[in-house]
Amino acid sequence: MLDWLKHIGKDYPDFWKEYISLFEEKSKRYVALTLETSGTNPKKNVILSFAAIGIVDQNIIVNDHLEFSMNDFETEADAIQKFIEYIGNATLIGHRIYLDVEMINESLSKINCGRLKNEALDIEIMHKKFFDIHEDKPISLNEIVSNYKITQADKNSNADDAFTIALLFLKLKSRLNIE
Amino acid sequence: MKNSIAEHIALFLKDFKPFNYLSFEELKKIAESIRVLSLEKEKTLFKIDEVLHECFYVVNQGVVHLTVISDAEEALLNKCYSGDIFGLRPFFSKNNYQMTAKAREESIIYAIPIDSFKPFVSQNQDVLNFLLESFATNSRNDKENTNRIVSYSNPNENQADVSFFQTLSYNKSPLKVNAQTSIKEVAILMSDNLLESALIVENDLVKGIVTDADFRMKVATGKHGIQSNIENIMSFPVLTVPENISLAEAQLVMITHNLNHLCVTEDGTTSTLVKGIISQKDLINAQANNPGVLLKEIKRAISGNELKNVRQNLDEIINTSISKNIPLNHINAIAGEVILSIVRRSVEIAILELGSPPVPFAFLSTGSEGRKEQLLYTDHNSILVFQDVEAEKYRDVKDYFVQLAKKSSTMLEQAGYKHSAYGHVASNPNLCKSLSEWIKQYNSWINTPGETSNEIFTIYFDYELAFGDPKIETEITENIFKNAKNSVLFYDYLGNDALKKPAPLNFFKKFNLEEEGEHKGKFNIKTKALMPLIDGARLFVMNMGIKGINNTYLRFKQLAITDEAHAEIYLECAESFLFLSRIRTIEGLKNDSDGSFIDIDELSKSDKEKLKQALHAMDNLEEIIKDRFQLTQFS
Repeated sequence: MLDWLKHIGKDYPDFWKEYISLFEEKSKRYVALTLETSGTNPKKNVILSFAAIGIVDQNIIVNDHLEFSMNDFETEADAIQKFIEYIGNATLIGHRIYLDVEMINESLSKINCGRLKNEALDIEIMHKKFFDIHEDKPISLNEIVSNYKITQADKNSNADDAFTIALLFLKLKSRLNIE
Repeated sequence: MKNSIAEHIALFLKDFKPFNYLSFEELKKIAESIRVLSLEKEKTLFKIDEVLHECFYVVNQGVVHLTVISDAEEALLNKCYSGDIFGLRPFFSKNNYQMTAKAREESIIYAIPIDSFKPFVSQNQDVLNFLLESFATNSRNDKENTNRIVSYSNPNENQADVSFFQTLSYNKSPLKVNAQTSIKEVAILMSDNLLESALIVENDLVKGIVTDADFRMKVATGKHGIQSNIENIMSFPVLTVPENISLAEAQLVMITHNLNHLCVTEDGTTSTLVKGIISQKDLINAQANNPGVLLKEIKRAISGNELKNVRQNLDEIINTSISKNIPLNHINAIAGEVILSIVRRSVEIAILELGSPPVPFAFLSTGSEGRKEQLLYTDHNSILVFQDVEAEKYRDVKDYFVQLAKKSSTMLEQAGYKHSAYGHVASNPNLCKSLSEWIKQYNSWINTPGETSNEIFTIYFDYELAFGDPKIETEITENIFKNAKNSVLFYDYLGNDALKKPAPLNFFKKFNLEEEGEHKGKFNIKTKALMPLIDGARLFVMNMGIKGINNTYLRFKQLAITDEAHAEIYLECAESFLFLSRIRTIEGLKNDSDGSFIDIDELSKSDKEKLKQALHAMDNLEEIIKDRFQLTQFS
């Protein structure tokens, strides 16, 4: 009776199946990520580049990083596959991460994959929680950073933002006692 | 694949030792293996006796304190700032950590795995040397090598004793001659190398020593000709000491044997290789951290960096004096003198660069420097007054002095003074004016004080001549007192100014802490406790026409003599002032800040009570102010 489920599963590309299977275990790894997109509407806009860096046990692992623009790959599918393989079952961290997740989901649907299964934590929400801000007003990344003792690099590339988010996450994590 | 984060880290590292010995490509490779940590304030990275980590650390942002436990108290060994490396033990040793590393501020730390760094160490001698050196300085409480080593927590421990047991630095390449050299040749060698002693050696083993005194007593008196062999006049046997002799030991040996020179050999006997020579001068130099020496150094300094060194040494003196419980007014007096001469020297250097000034002038330090109460690195305030000139020359003259002030304040900034946040420095054209303009300025402050209420002008009423013509200073003082005598309005304003500061204690006798901002939860000791006393003292002194006393403590003392009826209150204020400054200074030294904000919770219980008592003194002073001046016009 549940055959149709299996059929759906069979349509997925191999990398996606592998990705799904990772979620049998819970990951200790976090991935701070930034996307550069052409806009905020997932239907109309596209992803331009990725930058991400891994965090394990309060440490940012410099070598555990991903940084590419869509132009580096021949097809968008390749890029997305690379990305999915990189993140694995890690918890995603980002600034307005839900937008990023939506963008990725949209790209995934184009290549016959399901939606992202990763847990996601949003830096903006964590920041608001720590400072007890209840307003809905959006807070930019730079604004959040100014509240913490973090000096940013002069030029703000995507990778710098990912690194900054990772630092913010470490600070907020210990302050909010997230395990 | 590209890794721009690693590149950034490599960019950061390349400015610091030992990473600057490596190529950028190598640094990038290292950076890729790095882990980045964020430490909250007061978080411990590793503890004494903890198993070694697999990495060593570099501070990216923040401050990390390295401490050891001595006599059951935590003693600070070193402060690590941005770019400093620490935790090197895993490189050299297998036993557990010997110190504790704790973030004093929120910090970001790079952890570099030993395994990925080791190849570079073995390939590069400079890197290895630097690591060895830092390891040695960080692990040993050696005052000589790490300038910033200080111990705050144990006031009873005698700092002088610690420095007494430091190892000595001495001449490690003494002049060595063999026994058959002629006296003349040795004398020429010694003169050429500016040495006052030479060792007579045979196969690198010491046989004897000659010093200036030998030449005086045995050659100049005609007992020996200058062509005879040096061995005829040498003193022997030579007293030898081991390499790691401490200051105290060396001194003892010299005194007991009535000698001026000691020969250093490998194991302290005459049968091992010569390693160097210790002279009495070395001993004096080792003890040279005294204010007199600092003053001399200032006079010789020709750059901001040299002044900075002096200022750092002064910090150490202040720190030691405070922990030894030396009365704060003495420390103030000494530090004031040193700081004033730093400022003086900065003006002198500026004059050297710009050529001599067109007319006489006075460079006055104002604010805390003017009161000689500055113990910490706060900002530097000053004004410049030059003699009146004809209108057509005015422009050029002013231009010169603004330049002069600019140069001197740049120099002071190099020496580590913060740039004055409000532009209260003489390089500000408004504060670099002719004598008549300044008199006009002071008069307008005195006669119509409310009009420029945005300005904090009271600091200009505490000044001290740093450089220039004392006549100009006198003229200004005379003028101020003459004018202020009858200005009810002025005292009224000052009185209000002193009283309007926020109350330090609330209704329930609890401390009024900062409610928001960066220093949330801390007590602002500067504006809530010290400023009212400083303002109060100034007000009374001016009102009673007491000239020439700028120091708040001495002002209160003088007031107690002049105004006998309230003597008790003044004396209480004087003591309170000292106590409060002491707390502020300790806080400032601990955190390298200006010490304005103190953490009440860090104080001991008795200190807290004393603090409350000190604040109480202000209440009484307030009563006299209200009593004496009609504070109606501005309140």
